[in-house]
Amino acid sequence: MPIKWVLHWQPNPGTTVNTQILTEVSQCAEGINGVKEGRWKATLSFYKPMVREQANASEFPRDFLGISLQEQPNKYYFVIRGQRLIVEAESTIQTIMEKLQSYKTRVALNFEGFQYQLGDFQLRVGKVVPIHSENLRGIVMEMEYLPISSWEKSHQIMGEFFDIWREALSKRSLPGHFVHIEPNFAEYGLLDEYSSQHTAAQYASIMAQMIATAQSQSAQAARN
Amino acid sequence: MECVVQGIIETQHVEALEILLQGLCGVHRERLRIHELCLKSGPNLGLVASEVRLLCDLEQSEPTWTVRQVGSAMKGAGAEQISVLVRTAVESKMSKNALRLFYALGYKLDHELLRVGFAFHFQRGAQITVTVSSINKMLKLHSTDEAVPVTPGIQLVEVTALASSENYSEVVAAVSSFCEYLAPLLHLSKPGVSTGVVPTAAAAAASLMSDGGGATL
Repeated sequence: MPIKWVLHWQPNPGTTVNTQILTEVSQCAEGINGVKEGRWKATLSFYKPMVREQANASEFPRDFLGISLQEQPNKYYFVIRGQRLIVEAESTIQTIMEKLQSYKTRVALNFEGFQYQLGDFQLRVGKVVPIHSENLRGIVMEMEYLPISSWEKSHQIMGEFFDIWREALSKRSLPGHFVHIEPNFAEYGLLDEYSSQHTAAQYASIMAQMIATAQSQSAQAARN
Repeated sequence: MECVVQGIIETQHVEALEILLQGLCGVHRERLRIHELCLKSGPNLGLVASEVRLLCDLEQSEPTWTVRQVGSAMKGAGAEQISVLVRTAVESKMSKNALRLFYALGYKLDHELLRVGFAFHFQRGAQITVTVSSINKMLKLHSTDEAVPVTPGIQLVEVTALASSENYSEVVAAVSSFCEYLAPLLHLSKPGVSTGVVPTAAAAAASLMSDGGGATL
């Protein structure tokens, strides 16, 4: 399948994300001749263990995620980032998880927005909001290159496209920038040939990064 | 949901059963070799104890993994009157690191076994699966190549059919009527209700073997 980068918006220190930034980013995608094609959506859930004695919660993973992706509507992905573990399952696994009553959803986030076509590239720009809420928590972007499915081989062209994108966006002087973090796929046992498991790994990475940013900002706010 | 009945048969009569099933179903048997791992939640995990089964299909060139969760059986007077167990069951195919995931989540291996035999999948009033298998235990952890039968000379027969809350009574009827055809060779009942081998099995098997299973229904 085509490779993609999943990027997130890193606000400048002291600033936060807002819908104006999202609007400008979307306008920028259209400004470089991106053709708006339709909506896209991904959902990410944080699970927490249901324990009988709270004191023992530490023996269970704290970073257990479930991810559903539009590109694989009948699949569901589990990621335990701390253990570099990605598991692909059919979406019925969600029913099994509910029936087991051993883990429950702590927070669920929607990643949703619009898709733009630019030649062989597809851009998906979207907001990160908790389910049942419109409270903007972040901005995310998928950058997909249709002709190539090798992570290694796509690196140069993706880097070049990202430079063009950054340059176009810089004209708008927004208080932040998109960051690309490349998970070490080999640690997850993933090969060079791109798969939806690679996408899941990238979502887990940007999520960890967004949480870290939010935590450092709130720590900073507390100090001020 | 699924409807299920089980029974046992002596290994010496399995060939006759296969001939009968072949005649009844009109399809060819599939070989069955499944490594089944039963996992239970650790002592502190979950509001209630829970259990899942990981099934590794060793017949495939690249083994495939499925997780299966079986819920409680349907209860009530109606459920008691029927001879078929109706229960919820959910399955999901998973990538091959499924076991690692459940260990990471706090599940422990309770026991494992290897089912070796054959299965028939066919449509007869419902989508029915019949499996005939010997249950084997491993002498060493995960050593499926060194498995030995738990009950030598006896094989397990299981008849299952997928159902929904709307159509389960028709599926129960389809399963029950199918089981009647097998009655001379074995008795099928709800899991956990052991009925043993049937006395007519030897004679029925001899008859099936002599006429080559040409009986048509």
